[in-house]
Amino acid sequence: MIPTLQKKICMLGGFSVGKTSLVRRFVESVFSETYLTTVGVKIDKKTVALPDRTVTLILWDLAGEDDIGSLRMSYLRGAAGYVLVADGTRPATLEVAVSLRRRVEADSGPLPFVLLVNKSDLEDQWAVRDAEIADLRHSGWWVDSSSARTGEGVEDAFSAIAMRVAR
Amino acid sequence: MKGLPLPVAEQLQALIYRERALAYLLIDDAQKLIGAGGHLDVYGLTNLRIGEPAVEQAFFLEGLLPPDETAFIVPSIEVVGGRVADLHLLREADTLWVVLLEVTAERDAARRMQQKAYDMTLAQEREAQLNRQLQAANSALLATQHDLETSRAALIRSHNEVQAQAAELAAWNKTLEERVAAQVAEIERMARLKRFFAPSLAELIVSSGNEQILESHRRDIAVLFCDLRGFTAFSESAEPEEVMAVLRDYHAALVPLIQTFEGTLDRFVGDGLMVYFNDPLPCPNPVDRAVGLAVAMRDAMAALSRTWRRHGHQIGFGIGIAQGFATLGQIGFEGRFDYSAIGTVINTAARLCDAAKDGQILVTSRVAAAVAETAEVRELGPLTLKGLSRPLAVCNVEALKVA
Repeated sequence: MIPTLQKKICMLGGFSVGKTSLVRRFVESVFSETYLTTVGVKIDKKTVALPDRTVTLILWDLAGEDDIGSLRMSYLRGAAGYVLVADGTRPATLEVAVSLRRRVEADSGPLPFVLLVNKSDLEDQWAVRDAEIADLRHSGWWVDSSSARTGEGVEDAFSAIAMRVAR
Repeated sequence: MKGLPLPVAEQLQALIYRERALAYLLIDDAQKLIGAGGHLDVYGLTNLRIGEPAVEQAFFLEGLLPPDETAFIVPSIEVVGGRVADLHLLREADTLWVVLLEVTAERDAARRMQQKAYDMTLAQEREAQLNRQLQAANSALLATQHDLETSRAALIRSHNEVQAQAAELAAWNKTLEERVAAQVAEIERMARLKRFFAPSLAELIVSSGNEQILESHRRDIAVLFCDLRGFTAFSESAEPEEVMAVLRDYHAALVPLIQTFEGTLDRFVGDGLMVYFNDPLPCPNPVDRAVGLAVAMRDAMAALSRTWRRHGHQIGFGIGIAQGFATLGQIGFEGRFDYSAIGTVINTAARLCDAAKDGQILVTSRVAAAVAETAEVRELGPLTLKGLSRPLAVCNVEALKVA
Protein backbone atom coordinates (compact mmCIF):
# COMPACT_ATOMS: atom_id res chain seq x y z
CA MET A 1 0.00 0.00 0.00
CA ILE A 2 1.26 3.45 -0.93
CA PRO A 3 1.47 5.67 2.19
CA THR A 4 -0.63 8.85 2.33
CA LEU A 5 1.24 11.89 1.14
CA GLN A 6 0.97 15.11 3.15
CA LYS A 7 1.47 18.35 1.22
CA LYS A 8 1.37 21.98 2.25
CA ILE A 9 -0.74 24.13 -0.05
CA CYS A 10 -1.06 27.89 0.34
CA MET A 11 -4.18 29.82 -0.56
CA LEU A 12 -3.14 33.12 -2.12
CA GLY A 13 -5.09 36.06 -3.50
CA GLY A 14 -6.42 39.54 -2.89
CA PHE A 15 -8.56 40.27 0.14
CA SER A 16 -12.19 39.20 0.14
CA VAL A 17 -11.85 37.01 -2.95
CA GLY A 18 -13.14 33.98 -1.02
CA LYS A 19 -10.04 31.98 -0.02
CA THR A 20 -11.38 31.15 3.44
CA SER A 21 -14.81 30.39 2.01
CA LEU A 22 -13.31 28.03 -0.58
CA VAL A 23 -11.39 26.16 2.14
CA ARG A 24 -14.49 25.96 4.35
CA ARG A 25 -16.56 24.72 1.41
CA PHE A 26 -13.87 22.15 0.60
CA VAL A 27 -13.08 21.01 4.17
CA GLU A 28 -16.41 21.46 5.96
CA SER A 29 -18.89 21.68 3.03
CA VAL A 30 -20.36 24.90 4.45
CA PHE A 31 -20.63 28.47 3.29
CA SER A 32 -21.22 31.62 5.31
CA GLU A 33 -22.43 34.89 3.82
CA THR A 34 -20.57 36.79 6.54
CA TYR A 35 -17.23 38.13 5.49
CA LEU A 36 -14.58 37.79 8.18
CA THR A 37 -11.12 38.85 7.17
CA THR A 38 -8.25 36.51 7.87
CA VAL A 39 -5.31 37.84 9.83
CA GLY A 40 -2.15 35.75 9.76
CA VAL A 41 -2.96 32.24 8.61
CA LYS A 42 -5.53 29.60 9.30
CA ILE A 43 -4.41 26.04 8.84
CA ASP A 44 -6.75 23.20 7.87
CA LYS A 45 -6.33 19.80 6.37
CA LYS A 46 -8.26 17.50 4.14
CA THR A 47 -7.45 14.22 2.51
CA VAL A 48 -8.10 13.94 -1.21
CA ALA A 49 -8.47 10.56 -2.91
CA LEU A 50 -6.71 10.47 -6.23
CA PRO A 51 -7.06 7.57 -8.67
CA ASP A 52 -3.75 6.06 -7.62
CA ARG A 53 -3.24 7.36 -4.06
CA THR A 54 -4.51 9.68 -1.37
CA VAL A 55 -3.02 13.04 -0.52
CA THR A 56 -3.59 15.00 2.67
CA LEU A 57 -3.58 18.66 1.86
CA ILE A 58 -2.42 20.94 4.66
CA LEU A 59 -4.15 24.12 3.63
CA TRP A 60 -2.60 27.38 4.70
CA ASP A 61 -5.27 29.99 4.24
CA LEU A 62 -3.23 33.18 4.15
CA ALA A 63 -4.47 36.66 4.90
CA GLY A 64 -5.66 38.36 1.78
CA GLU A 65 -3.56 40.85 -0.04
CA ASP A 66 -4.30 44.50 -0.34
CA ASP A 67 -0.77 45.19 -1.35
CA ILE A 68 1.57 42.73 -3.01
CA GLY A 69 4.47 43.80 -0.83
CA SER A 70 2.63 42.69 2.27
CA LEU A 71 2.86 38.98 1.45
CA ARG A 72 4.82 37.25 4.22
CA MET A 73 7.00 34.83 2.36
CA SER A 74 7.66 32.95 5.62
CA TYR A 75 4.16 31.49 5.29
CA LEU A 76 5.13 29.90 2.00
CA ARG A 77 8.06 28.04 3.44
CA GLY A 78 7.79 24.36 2.63
CA ALA A 79 4.70 24.77 0.42
CA ALA A 80 4.34 22.09 -2.28
CA GLY A 81 1.97 24.18 -4.32
CA TYR A 82 -0.59 26.94 -4.11
CA VAL A 83 -4.07 27.94 -5.10
CA LEU A 84 -4.43 31.43 -6.55
CA VAL A 85 -7.87 32.92 -6.03
CA ALA A 86 -9.40 35.93 -7.79
CA ASP A 87 -12.86 37.47 -7.53
CA GLY A 88 -14.71 37.37 -10.86
CA THR A 89 -16.67 40.49 -9.91
CA ARG A 90 -13.47 42.52 -9.29
CA PRO A 91 -11.10 42.40 -12.27
CA ALA A 92 -8.31 44.02 -10.26
CA THR A 93 -8.06 40.87 -8.11
CA LEU A 94 -7.09 38.88 -11.21
CA GLU A 95 -4.14 41.20 -11.65
CA VAL A 96 -3.28 40.68 -7.96
CA ALA A 97 -3.31 36.91 -8.53
CA VAL A 98 -1.05 37.22 -11.57
CA SER A 99 1.36 39.43 -9.60
CA LEU A 100 1.36 37.03 -6.63
CA ARG A 101 2.25 34.16 -8.89
CA ARG A 102 5.18 36.16 -10.25
CA ARG A 103 6.28 37.03 -6.71
CA VAL A 104 6.08 33.45 -5.46
CA GLU A 105 7.95 32.14 -8.48
CA ALA A 106 10.70 34.70 -7.96
CA ASP A 107 11.01 33.75 -4.31
CA SER A 108 10.35 29.99 -4.24
CA GLY A 109 10.90 28.92 -7.84
CA PRO A 110 8.29 27.21 -10.00
CA LEU A 111 5.65 25.49 -7.88
CA PRO A 112 2.47 23.75 -9.01
CA PHE A 113 -0.55 26.04 -8.80
CA VAL A 114 -4.10 26.46 -9.99
CA LEU A 115 -6.14 29.64 -10.43
CA LEU A 116 -9.75 29.92 -9.35
CA VAL A 117 -11.85 32.86 -10.48
CA ASN A 118 -14.36 32.76 -7.68
CA LYS A 119 -17.94 33.98 -7.11
CA SER A 120 -19.27 32.58 -10.38
CA ASP A 121 -22.73 32.63 -8.78
CA LEU A 122 -22.75 36.46 -9.00
CA GLU A 123 -23.46 36.42 -12.74
CA ASP A 124 -24.96 39.91 -12.87
CA GLN A 125 -21.83 41.43 -11.32
CA TRP A 126 -19.31 39.29 -13.24
CA ALA A 127 -16.66 41.58 -14.69
CA VAL A 128 -13.72 39.39 -15.69
CA ARG A 129 -13.65 38.92 -19.45
CA ASP A 130 -13.60 35.40 -20.88
CA ALA A 131 -10.75 36.47 -23.14
CA GLU A 132 -8.51 37.14 -20.13
CA ILE A 133 -9.14 33.66 -18.75
CA ALA A 134 -8.61 32.16 -22.20
CA ASP A 135 -5.27 34.00 -22.49
CA LEU A 136 -4.08 32.58 -19.16
CA ARG A 137 -5.15 29.08 -20.23
CA HIS A 138 -3.22 29.51 -23.47
CA SER A 139 -0.12 30.30 -21.44
CA GLY A 140 -0.46 26.91 -19.71
CA TRP A 141 -2.32 27.86 -16.54
CA TRP A 142 -4.93 25.62 -14.96
CA VAL A 143 -7.78 28.11 -14.61
CA ASP A 144 -11.39 27.59 -13.72
CA SER A 145 -14.28 29.55 -12.30
CA SER A 146 -15.67 28.56 -8.93
CA SER A 147 -18.31 29.40 -6.38
CA ALA A 148 -17.77 28.77 -2.70
CA ARG A 149 -21.49 29.49 -2.28
CA THR A 150 -22.68 26.75 -4.63
CA GLY A 151 -19.56 24.58 -4.50
CA GLU A 152 -19.13 24.79 -8.28
CA GLY A 153 -15.55 24.03 -9.34
CA VAL A 154 -14.25 23.70 -5.76
CA GLU A 155 -13.60 19.92 -5.55
CA ASP A 156 -12.15 19.92 -9.06
CA ALA A 157 -9.69 22.67 -8.24
CA PHE A 158 -8.38 21.00 -5.07
CA SER A 159 -8.17 17.66 -6.87
CA ALA A 160 -6.22 19.40 -9.63
CA ILE A 161 -3.68 20.91 -7.21
CA ALA A 162 -3.49 17.60 -5.30
CA MET A 163 -2.64 15.78 -8.53
CA ARG A 164 -0.01 18.34 -9.39
CA VAL A 165 1.75 18.24 -6.02
CA ALA A 166 1.53 14.43 -5.84
CA ARG A 167 3.52 13.92 -9.04
CA MET B 1 15.87 36.11 31.93
CA LYS B 2 19.09 38.06 32.02
CA GLY B 3 18.87 41.60 33.38
CA LEU B 4 15.75 40.85 35.37
CA PRO B 5 15.70 40.05 39.02
CA LEU B 6 14.82 36.37 39.51
CA PRO B 7 11.46 36.97 41.23
CA VAL B 8 10.33 39.27 38.40
CA ALA B 9 11.54 36.87 35.75
CA GLU B 10 9.78 33.94 37.43
CA GLN B 11 6.58 36.00 37.81
CA LEU B 12 6.74 37.00 34.17
CA GLN B 13 7.33 33.42 33.06
CA ALA B 14 4.36 32.28 35.12
CA LEU B 15 2.25 35.07 33.61
CA ILE B 16 3.20 34.20 30.07
CA TYR B 17 2.64 30.54 30.68
CA ARG B 18 -0.80 31.20 32.13
CA GLU B 19 -2.04 34.10 30.05
CA ARG B 20 -0.47 33.33 26.67
CA ALA B 21 -1.33 29.61 26.67
CA LEU B 22 2.25 28.57 26.16
CA ALA B 23 2.84 25.11 24.77
CA TYR B 24 5.89 23.38 23.37
CA LEU B 25 7.05 20.36 21.43
CA LEU B 26 10.55 18.95 21.42
CA ILE B 27 11.70 17.24 18.25
CA ASP B 28 14.88 15.34 17.52
CA ASP B 29 17.04 15.18 14.43
CA ALA B 30 14.92 12.39 12.99
CA GLN B 31 11.93 14.75 13.32
CA LYS B 32 10.37 12.55 15.94
CA LEU B 33 8.63 13.90 18.99
CA ILE B 34 10.72 13.49 22.04
CA GLY B 35 8.90 15.77 24.42
CA ALA B 36 5.88 18.09 24.88
CA GLY B 37 4.35 20.31 27.51
CA GLY B 38 2.25 23.36 28.38
CA HIS B 39 -1.28 24.12 27.17
CA LEU B 40 -1.12 21.59 24.32
CA ASP B 41 -4.88 20.96 24.34
CA VAL B 42 -5.53 24.64 23.48
CA TYR B 43 -3.96 23.92 20.08
CA GLY B 44 -5.56 20.51 19.62
CA LEU B 45 -2.34 18.69 20.39
CA THR B 46 -3.71 15.73 22.28
CA ASN B 47 -2.79 12.05 22.43
CA LEU B 48 0.76 12.83 21.45
CA ARG B 49 2.99 9.83 20.93
CA ILE B 50 6.57 10.25 22.00
CA GLY B 51 8.97 8.68 19.52
CA GLU B 52 6.58 9.03 16.57
CA PRO B 53 7.09 11.49 13.65
CA ALA B 54 6.20 15.01 14.80
CA VAL B 55 4.68 16.17 11.49
CA GLU B 56 2.06 13.42 11.59
CA GLN B 57 0.92 14.66 15.00
CA ALA B 58 1.27 18.41 14.49
CA PHE B 59 0.26 18.84 10.87
CA PHE B 60 0.99 22.57 10.86
CA LEU B 61 4.67 21.62 10.90
CA GLU B 62 4.37 20.15 7.37
CA GLY B 63 7.06 21.69 5.19
CA LEU B 64 8.70 23.55 8.06
CA LEU B 65 11.06 20.84 9.20
CA PRO B 66 13.92 21.07 9.47
CA PRO B 67 14.21 24.87 9.65
CA ASP B 68 17.19 26.46 7.97
CA GLU B 69 17.69 29.01 10.69
CA THR B 70 18.36 28.62 14.41
CA ALA B 71 15.26 30.63 15.21
CA PHE B 72 12.27 30.96 12.93
CA ILE B 73 8.86 32.48 13.66
CA VAL B 74 5.64 31.91 11.85
CA PRO B 75 3.36 34.57 13.21
CA SER B 76 -0.32 34.31 13.99
CA ILE B 77 -1.36 30.80 13.01
CA GLU B 78 -4.81 29.49 13.79
CA VAL B 79 -4.92 25.76 14.02
CA VAL B 80 -8.10 24.64 15.74
CA GLY B 81 -10.85 26.18 17.81
CA GLY B 82 -10.12 29.76 16.95
CA ARG B 83 -7.02 30.03 19.16
CA VAL B 84 -4.16 31.81 17.49
CA ALA B 85 -0.47 31.52 18.30
CA ASP B 86 2.87 32.67 17.09
CA LEU B 87 4.87 29.61 16.17
CA HIS B 88 8.49 29.78 17.30
CA LEU B 89 11.00 27.21 16.01
CA LEU B 90 14.22 27.24 18.03
CA ARG B 91 17.08 24.85 17.25
CA GLU B 92 19.29 23.79 20.10
CA ALA B 93 22.06 21.31 19.32
CA ASP B 94 20.33 18.20 17.86
CA THR B 95 16.88 19.14 19.02
CA LEU B 96 14.23 21.55 17.87
CA TRP B 97 11.91 23.41 20.19
CA VAL B 98 8.54 24.28 18.76
CA VAL B 99 6.90 26.89 20.99
CA LEU B 100 3.35 28.14 20.58
CA LEU B 101 2.58 31.46 22.22
CA GLU B 102 -0.99 32.58 22.03
CA VAL B 103 -1.79 35.87 20.27
CA THR B 104 -5.53 35.47 19.86
CA ALA B 105 -6.30 38.82 21.49
CA GLU B 106 -3.79 40.62 19.31
CA ARG B 107 -5.05 38.81 16.24
CA ASP B 108 -8.65 39.75 17.09
CA ALA B 109 -7.68 43.38 17.62
CA ALA B 110 -5.76 43.44 14.36
CA ARG B 111 -8.66 41.71 12.61
CA ARG B 112 -11.15 44.29 13.82
CA MET B 113 -9.06 47.07 12.34
CA GLN B 114 -8.33 45.16 9.19
CA GLN B 115 -11.98 44.23 8.82
CA LYS B 116 -13.04 47.87 9.00
CA ALA B 117 -10.43 48.88 6.47
CA TYR B 118 -11.37 46.08 4.06
CA ASP B 119 -15.10 46.64 4.55
CA MET B 120 -14.56 50.28 3.68
CA THR B 121 -12.40 49.45 0.67
CA LEU B 122 -14.95 46.89 -0.51
CA ALA B 123 -17.76 49.39 -0.07
CA GLN B 124 -15.78 51.94 -2.06
CA GLU B 125 -15.00 49.40 -4.76
CA ARG B 126 -18.63 48.35 -4.87
CA GLU B 127 -19.72 51.97 -5.02
CA ALA B 128 -17.28 52.64 -7.84
CA GLN B 129 -18.50 49.54 -9.65
CA LEU B 130 -22.13 50.57 -9.16
CA ASN B 131 -21.24 54.05 -10.36
CA ARG B 132 -19.64 52.57 -13.47
CA GLN B 133 -22.70 50.40 -14.05
CA LEU B 134 -24.91 53.42 -13.44
CA GLN B 135 -22.89 55.50 -15.86
CA ALA B 136 -22.97 52.72 -18.44
CA ALA B 137 -26.72 52.36 -17.93
CA ASN B 138 -27.07 56.13 -18.12
CA SER B 139 -25.03 56.28 -21.32
CA ALA B 140 -27.09 53.44 -22.78
CA LEU B 141 -30.23 55.26 -21.72
CA LEU B 142 -29.02 58.49 -23.30
CA ALA B 143 -28.11 56.63 -26.48
CA THR B 144 -31.53 54.99 -26.49
CA GLN B 145 -33.15 58.35 -25.84
CA HIS B 146 -31.15 59.86 -28.67
CA ASP B 147 -32.16 56.97 -30.95
CA LEU B 148 -35.76 57.42 -29.89
CA GLU B 149 -35.63 61.14 -30.57
CA THR B 150 -34.06 60.48 -33.96
CA SER B 151 -36.73 57.88 -34.70
CA ARG B 152 -39.42 60.24 -33.48
CA ALA B 153 -38.11 63.06 -35.65
CA ALA B 154 -37.95 60.67 -38.60
CA LEU B 155 -41.49 59.53 -37.85
CA ILE B 156 -42.73 63.11 -37.65
CA ARG B 157 -40.95 63.85 -40.92
CA SER B 158 -42.50 60.80 -42.54
CA HIS B 159 -45.89 61.70 -41.09
CA ASN B 160 -45.61 65.25 -42.41
CA GLU B 161 -44.47 63.97 -45.78
CA VAL B 162 -47.40 61.57 -45.90
CA GLN B 163 -49.76 64.38 -44.86
CA ALA B 164 -48.29 66.67 -47.51
CA GLN B 165 -48.54 63.90 -50.10
CA ALA B 166 -52.13 63.20 -49.04
CA ALA B 167 -52.95 66.90 -49.36
CA GLU B 168 -51.20 67.02 -52.71
CA LEU B 169 -53.06 63.91 -53.78
CA ALA B 170 -56.36 65.43 -52.66
CA ALA B 171 -55.50 68.59 -54.59
CA TRP B 172 -54.61 66.53 -57.62
CA ASN B 173 -57.84 64.59 -57.26
CA LYS B 174 -59.78 67.82 -57.09
CA THR B 175 -57.92 69.21 -60.09
CA LEU B 176 -58.47 65.93 -61.89
CA GLU B 177 -62.16 65.95 -61.10
CA GLU B 178 -62.39 69.52 -62.29
CA ARG B 179 -60.47 68.64 -65.41
CA VAL B 180 -62.65 65.63 -66.04
CA ALA B 181 -65.75 67.74 -65.52
CA ALA B 182 -64.32 70.45 -67.78
CA GLN B 183 -63.38 67.90 -70.39
CA VAL B 184 -66.77 66.23 -70.23
CA ALA B 185 -68.36 69.66 -70.65
CA GLU B 186 -65.95 70.41 -73.46
CA ILE B 187 -66.71 67.10 -75.16
CA GLU B 188 -70.40 67.85 -74.90
CA ARG B 189 -69.93 71.33 -76.29
CA MET B 190 -67.63 69.98 -78.94
CA ALA B 191 -70.20 67.40 -79.98
CA ARG B 192 -72.73 70.17 -80.28
CA LEU B 193 -70.42 72.49 -82.15
CA LYS B 194 -69.11 69.83 -84.50
CA ARG B 195 -72.54 69.63 -85.98
CA PHE B 196 -72.01 73.15 -87.31
CA PHE B 197 -68.31 73.64 -87.77
CA ALA B 198 -65.17 72.01 -89.01
CA PRO B 199 -63.63 70.04 -86.10
CA SER B 200 -60.65 72.41 -85.85
CA LEU B 201 -63.05 75.33 -85.70
CA ALA B 202 -65.20 73.63 -83.11
CA GLU B 203 -62.12 73.03 -80.96
CA LEU B 204 -61.15 76.66 -81.41
CA ILE B 205 -64.54 77.82 -80.21
CA VAL B 206 -64.42 75.48 -77.25
CA SER B 207 -60.91 76.49 -76.27
CA SER B 208 -61.85 80.18 -76.54
CA GLY B 209 -64.62 79.38 -74.05
CA ASN B 210 -66.88 81.88 -75.77
CA GLU B 211 -70.15 80.47 -76.96
CA GLN B 212 -71.66 83.92 -77.37
CA ILE B 213 -70.24 83.56 -80.82
CA LEU B 214 -73.29 81.43 -81.60
CA GLU B 215 -75.67 84.27 -80.96
CA SER B 216 -77.15 86.12 -83.90
CA HIS B 217 -74.76 88.66 -85.48
CA ARG B 218 -73.75 90.25 -88.78
CA ARG B 219 -70.41 89.66 -90.46
CA ASP B 220 -68.67 90.01 -93.76
CA ILE B 221 -68.15 86.48 -94.99
CA ALA B 222 -67.04 84.63 -98.12
CA VAL B 223 -69.61 82.04 -99.16
CA LEU B 224 -68.95 79.03 -101.38
CA PHE B 225 -71.66 76.93 -102.93
CA CYS B 226 -70.96 73.84 -104.99
CA ASP B 227 -72.92 70.96 -106.46
CA LEU B 228 -72.82 68.33 -109.15
CA ARG B 229 -73.82 68.88 -112.77
CA GLY B 230 -76.11 66.21 -114.14
CA PHE B 231 -76.73 64.72 -110.74
CA THR B 232 -80.50 64.96 -110.98
CA ALA B 233 -80.54 63.04 -114.29
CA PHE B 234 -78.07 60.52 -112.87
CA SER B 235 -80.11 59.94 -109.71
CA GLU B 236 -83.26 59.42 -111.74
CA SER B 237 -81.64 56.72 -113.88
CA ALA B 238 -79.29 55.08 -111.41
CA GLU B 239 -80.03 52.65 -108.60
CA PRO B 240 -80.31 54.31 -105.18
CA GLU B 241 -77.26 52.33 -104.02
CA GLU B 242 -75.22 53.77 -106.89
CA VAL B 243 -76.48 57.27 -106.05
CA MET B 244 -75.49 56.80 -102.44
CA ALA B 245 -72.06 55.46 -103.47
CA VAL B 246 -71.46 58.52 -105.68
CA LEU B 247 -72.50 60.88 -102.87
CA ARG B 248 -70.26 59.02 -100.43
CA ASP B 249 -67.25 59.41 -102.75
CA TYR B 250 -68.17 63.04 -103.38
CA HIS B 251 -68.43 63.95 -99.69
CA ALA B 252 -65.35 61.91 -98.83
CA ALA B 253 -63.37 63.91 -101.39
CA LEU B 254 -64.62 67.37 -100.39
CA VAL B 255 -65.24 67.40 -96.62
CA PRO B 256 -61.55 66.89 -95.70
CA LEU B 257 -60.68 69.82 -97.98
CA ILE B 258 -63.21 72.04 -96.20
CA GLN B 259 -61.57 71.10 -92.93
CA THR B 260 -58.11 71.75 -94.33
CA PHE B 261 -59.10 75.25 -95.37
CA GLU B 262 -60.96 75.74 -92.07
CA GLY B 263 -64.21 76.53 -93.73
CA THR B 264 -67.50 76.39 -91.87
CA LEU B 265 -69.63 73.67 -93.43
CA ASP B 266 -73.12 75.09 -93.24
CA ARG B 267 -75.08 72.25 -94.73
CA PHE B 268 -75.39 69.35 -97.14
CA VAL B 269 -78.39 69.35 -99.37
CA GLY B 270 -78.19 66.30 -101.60
CA ASP B 271 -75.28 67.05 -103.88
CA GLY B 272 -75.08 70.67 -102.79
CA LEU B 273 -72.69 72.00 -100.16
CA MET B 274 -72.55 75.43 -98.55
CA VAL B 275 -69.31 76.59 -96.93
CA TYR B 276 -68.38 80.02 -95.63
CA PHE B 277 -65.31 81.70 -94.16
CA ASN B 278 -64.70 84.35 -91.43
CA ASP B 279 -67.39 83.01 -89.16
CA PRO B 280 -67.99 82.02 -86.44
CA LEU B 281 -64.31 82.80 -85.84
CA PRO B 282 -62.70 85.51 -87.89
CA CYS B 283 -59.93 84.39 -90.20
CA PRO B 284 -57.47 86.29 -92.38
CA ASN B 285 -58.14 86.41 -96.10
CA PRO B 286 -61.49 84.62 -96.13
CA VAL B 287 -61.91 85.19 -99.88
CA ASP B 288 -58.49 83.74 -100.67
CA ARG B 289 -59.39 80.72 -98.60
CA ALA B 290 -62.71 80.30 -100.33
CA VAL B 291 -61.05 80.51 -103.78
CA GLY B 292 -58.22 78.22 -102.65
CA LEU B 293 -60.78 75.69 -101.42
CA ALA B 294 -62.73 75.98 -104.67
CA VAL B 295 -59.67 75.25 -106.78
CA ALA B 296 -58.75 72.29 -104.54
CA MET B 297 -62.33 71.02 -104.83
CA ARG B 298 -62.30 71.35 -108.61
CA ASP B 299 -59.02 69.40 -108.82
CA ALA B 300 -60.34 66.67 -106.56
CA MET B 301 -63.58 66.47 -108.50
CA ALA B 302 -61.75 66.31 -111.86
CA ALA B 303 -60.11 63.08 -110.70
CA LEU B 304 -63.36 61.74 -109.30
CA SER B 305 -65.31 62.66 -112.48
CA ARG B 306 -62.89 60.60 -114.55
CA THR B 307 -63.58 57.58 -112.35
CA TRP B 308 -67.32 58.16 -112.58
CA ARG B 309 -67.13 58.51 -116.32
CA ARG B 310 -65.40 55.13 -116.51
CA HIS B 311 -68.48 53.79 -114.75
CA GLY B 312 -70.68 55.55 -117.28
CA HIS B 313 -71.81 58.38 -115.06
CA GLN B 314 -71.75 61.78 -116.77
CA ILE B 315 -71.45 63.97 -113.71
CA GLY B 316 -69.82 67.41 -113.60
CA PHE B 317 -69.07 69.89 -110.82
CA GLY B 318 -69.61 73.64 -110.44
CA ILE B 319 -68.83 76.24 -107.79
CA GLY B 320 -70.05 79.72 -106.95
CA ILE B 321 -68.40 82.20 -104.57
CA ALA B 322 -69.64 85.53 -103.25
CA GLN B 323 -68.55 87.90 -100.52
CA GLY B 324 -70.63 90.24 -98.34
CA PHE B 325 -72.41 90.76 -95.03
CA ALA B 326 -74.78 88.11 -93.73
CA THR B 327 -76.67 87.50 -90.52
CA LEU B 328 -75.35 84.45 -88.71
CA GLY B 329 -76.28 82.53 -85.60
CA GLN B 330 -78.30 79.71 -84.15
CA ILE B 331 -81.57 79.03 -85.88
CA GLY B 332 -84.15 76.60 -84.66
CA PHE B 333 -85.63 75.56 -81.33
CA GLU B 334 -84.63 73.58 -78.25
CA GLY B 335 -83.56 70.10 -79.35
CA ARG B 336 -83.02 71.08 -82.93
CA PHE B 337 -80.69 74.06 -83.34
CA ASP B 338 -78.67 74.81 -86.46
CA TYR B 339 -76.07 77.45 -87.05
CA SER B 340 -76.67 79.19 -90.32
CA ALA B 341 -76.20 82.28 -92.40
CA ILE B 342 -78.88 84.35 -94.03
CA GLY B 343 -78.46 87.16 -96.52
CA THR B 344 -78.13 88.20 -100.17
CA VAL B 345 -74.55 87.00 -100.27
CA ILE B 346 -75.81 83.46 -99.68
CA ASN B 347 -78.30 83.68 -102.52
CA THR B 348 -75.69 85.22 -104.82
CA ALA B 349 -73.24 82.41 -104.17
CA ALA B 350 -75.99 79.83 -104.66
CA ARG B 351 -77.06 81.40 -107.96
CA LEU B 352 -73.47 81.61 -109.20
CA CYS B 353 -73.13 77.92 -108.38
CA ASP B 354 -76.31 77.16 -110.33
CA ALA B 355 -74.90 79.08 -113.30
CA ALA B 356 -71.48 77.45 -113.24
CA LYS B 357 -70.76 74.86 -115.85
CA ASP B 358 -68.74 71.75 -115.15
CA GLY B 359 -65.33 72.82 -113.91
CA GLN B 360 -66.26 76.49 -113.50
CA ILE B 361 -65.71 78.54 -110.34
CA LEU B 362 -67.91 81.56 -110.77
CA VAL B 363 -67.22 84.50 -108.52
CA THR B 364 -68.51 88.05 -108.15
CA SER B 365 -66.33 90.89 -109.38
CA ARG B 366 -65.65 91.82 -105.77
CA VAL B 367 -64.27 88.33 -105.10
CA ALA B 368 -62.27 88.45 -108.32
CA ALA B 369 -60.75 91.78 -107.30
CA ALA B 370 -59.86 90.39 -103.86
CA VAL B 371 -57.94 87.45 -105.32
CA ALA B 372 -56.45 89.28 -108.29
CA GLU B 373 -52.95 88.73 -106.98
CA THR B 374 -53.30 85.09 -106.12
CA ALA B 375 -55.56 83.73 -108.83
CA GLU B 376 -55.94 83.94 -112.56
CA VAL B 377 -59.47 85.13 -113.18
CA ARG B 378 -61.32 85.61 -116.44
CA GLU B 379 -64.26 87.97 -116.78
CA LEU B 380 -67.33 86.38 -118.25
CA GLY B 381 -69.35 89.59 -118.44
CA PRO B 382 -72.66 90.33 -116.76
CA LEU B 383 -74.99 87.41 -116.14
CA THR B 384 -78.61 87.55 -115.20
CA LEU B 385 -79.07 85.23 -112.34
CA LYS B 386 -82.32 83.77 -111.10
CA GLY B 387 -83.74 85.68 -108.14
CA LEU B 388 -81.52 88.74 -108.71
CA SER B 389 -83.07 91.86 -110.10
CA ARG B 390 -79.98 93.08 -111.99
CA PRO B 391 -77.35 91.35 -114.10
CA LEU B 392 -74.17 90.58 -112.18
CA ALA B 393 -70.54 90.93 -113.33
CA VAL B 394 -69.23 87.39 -113.09
CA CYS B 395 -65.72 85.95 -113.38
CA ASN B 396 -64.36 82.46 -113.62
CA VAL B 397 -61.34 81.40 -111.60
CA GLU B 398 -59.11 79.63 -114.05
CA ALA B 399 -56.27 78.72 -111.74
CA LEU B 400 -54.19 79.85 -108.80
CA LYS B 401 -51.12 81.82 -109.58
CA VAL B 402 -47.92 80.06 -108.73
CA ALA B 403 -46.31 81.86 -105.82
